[in-house]
Amino acid sequence: MSDNLQVLLLDDEPIVGRRLKPALAKIGCEVEVFEDPEEALARMAQQEFDVVVTDIRMDQIDGMQVLEFVRERWPRSKVIMITGYAMMSLAREAMEKGAFDFIAKPFKPDDLRKVIAKAAKALGSEIDFGAAEVDKANG
Amino acid sequence: MAEGPARPGGAPPPPGDELSEEAAAIEGRLGLARDAEQARRALLARPRFSLRLQIFLGNAIAFLVAVAVAVALIASSHRMESKTRFLEIVNDYVMQVEQARRFEKNFFLYGTNLSDAQDNVFQAEAILNRNAEELAAIMGADWRRQVLPNLHSYARLLEKLGQGAHRDQPVGKAERLKLQSQVRAQGQQMVSAALAVLSKEKAALSEVIARSRQLLFYSMGLLLVFMVFNAYWLGSRMLSSIGRFGQYAGRIASGDFTPVTPTRRYRDEFTELALAINSMIEELEKREAVLVQSHKMRAVGTLTAGVAHELNNPMNNITLTAHMLQEDYADLDDPERREMIDDVVAEASRAKKIISNLLDFARESGSQLEPLDLPHLLQETIALAGNQIKLSGIKIDFQSSGNLPRVHGDSQQLQQVFLNLILNAIDASHKRGSIHVLVLPADEPNYLAVKVMDEGTGIPAHILGSIFDPFFTTKEKGKGTGLGLSVSQGIVAKHGGRIMVSSQEDKGTTFTVVLPVTTIPAQLGSEKA
Repeated sequence: MSDNLQVLLLDDEPIVGRRLKPALAKIGCEVEVFEDPEEALARMAQQEFDVVVTDIRMDQIDGMQVLEFVRERWPRSKVIMITGYAMMSLAREAMEKGAFDFIAKPFKPDDLRKVIAKAAKALGSEIDFGAAEVDKANG
Repeated sequence: MAEGPARPGGAPPPPGDELSEEAAAIEGRLGLARDAEQARRALLARPRFSLRLQIFLGNAIAFLVAVAVAVALIASSHRMESKTRFLEIVNDYVMQVEQARRFEKNFFLYGTNLSDAQDNVFQAEAILNRNAEELAAIMGADWRRQVLPNLHSYARLLEKLGQGAHRDQPVGKAERLKLQSQVRAQGQQMVSAALAVLSKEKAALSEVIARSRQLLFYSMGLLLVFMVFNAYWLGSRMLSSIGRFGQYAGRIASGDFTPVTPTRRYRDEFTELALAINSMIEELEKREAVLVQSHKMRAVGTLTAGVAHELNNPMNNITLTAHMLQEDYADLDDPERREMIDDVVAEASRAKKIISNLLDFARESGSQLEPLDLPHLLQETIALAGNQIKLSGIKIDFQSSGNLPRVHGDSQQLQQVFLNLILNAIDASHKRGSIHVLVLPADEPNYLAVKVMDEGTGIPAHILGSIFDPFFTTKEKGKGTGLGLSVSQGIVAKHGGRIMVSSQEDKGTTFTVVLPVTTIPAQLGSEKA
């Protein structure tokens, strides 16, 4: 295990994982991407992740169940919920159940990076935002 | 009143041809107006026989009968009067003659009173002369030819007798006897002739009296029969019309807006009522169309929440991809850039697809009737409600019997009905519940049934009867208008179908829509499908 922030990203939209994995890697996260909540839960049963990012609405198991599972299994982990527009009540419910924060679709990669940086800070490790910023400047 | 919907369907336009769709919509609207106009013309084309005219004619006929009876009675009383008068005259005459004969007898017995007898004969003649006109009127020329000459010859015989007596000449006994018997015979004949006339005229008088009594009885009886018949006819005309209009009201209340068409051979005041009802139907139909449209827009509003949510996914994918492309452009190789651009394109078309169903449904169009493939229509409807279904986490299951005939209908309006039932089922369902949608032949032949079943809370029996009433809702204030099922019922009724509900509390509710199968060949529809 490296010092890098361990992130699990769960969203049933494949493109979300494909784009966010490199985006988060740039700020020094080690990202594991899942589309199937069952597989994600199985993986989390084995290993603790620093940050869990999960979509709130999925077909078989929804983000709430994932949140409940993580809160119970790994109380230290920070859970960030991805919600949709018009689901503010669900987001509030998630916060009450102990989610660290939520982010509403559609969002920019930087929006998530900022929330993850906040989570890292709360966990006691600073994130070097510079890498991404430099890249952006170059781009 | 089993007039079917007389609305002409018009040929459905070829797919994708917006102009002809528009034309068909206008055609549909014109069709309604044309129906109303046709009904109006048919109603007015019949000869007019108003209730007012019947009442007037009935009274006029009764009055004329009464006048005729009165005239007849006056005439017959006139006749009675003249007959009575005649009888009096004849009676006076007979009295004079009989008196003359009594004196004649005295003369024969005692040789006295001959001049008295002559006096009586003279008076009898005076009576006849005084009443010559009346006698002529009743006896015609007879009295001149018989009565008067008889009287004259009697008078002459009396005179002959008198001459014999005055001269005091002993007339031969045989001659005197002969004269006597001549006088007697003449007197006898006169009296019996007068009595015959008297009894004949008495009989005639009593016949006139009897006849006028009969006339009175029969004409009163006839008048009674006529008045009873006229009252019955008038009453049944009014009552049957009132009954028919009661039926129209029920039919209109259940959403059948077919114009009232003629059922009788003539027109009257109820025709004006029918015209008024037809124009009310037209107005109601317009309002119903507005109501249906506004309810549709409400459904669109409900669906919009789901669409907005579902749109977040492609929007998010596009946002993330575009930002990463911007950020990492220089570091990416060509296939990677290509992949990202392809993702953007694919997600954009996914977004378009999400809203296009809703846009199709929301687009306002006139009533268009065409043969419809119900299972296909239901699949489209389920797709339309798809986002809502996904959002609520409810499973929907669709089944259809194979090879079903088509139904004749307006696809948008029927879709609105099914969408309403499905959205209601979603609202009623528990989280993670499921909804079953079935299309199958109905129990009655030539009908198809669409069943929308949920496993939700069910509807309490005491409100089950009112759920189709306008403005009845069990939803919270501001959540439901209470018009959905009422509008749906109206649409289904217009298609000649029925909508039914059965529910068990805590087990679920089943709505069944029964629609008649089209009798029009399906090739028009298959072109479209």
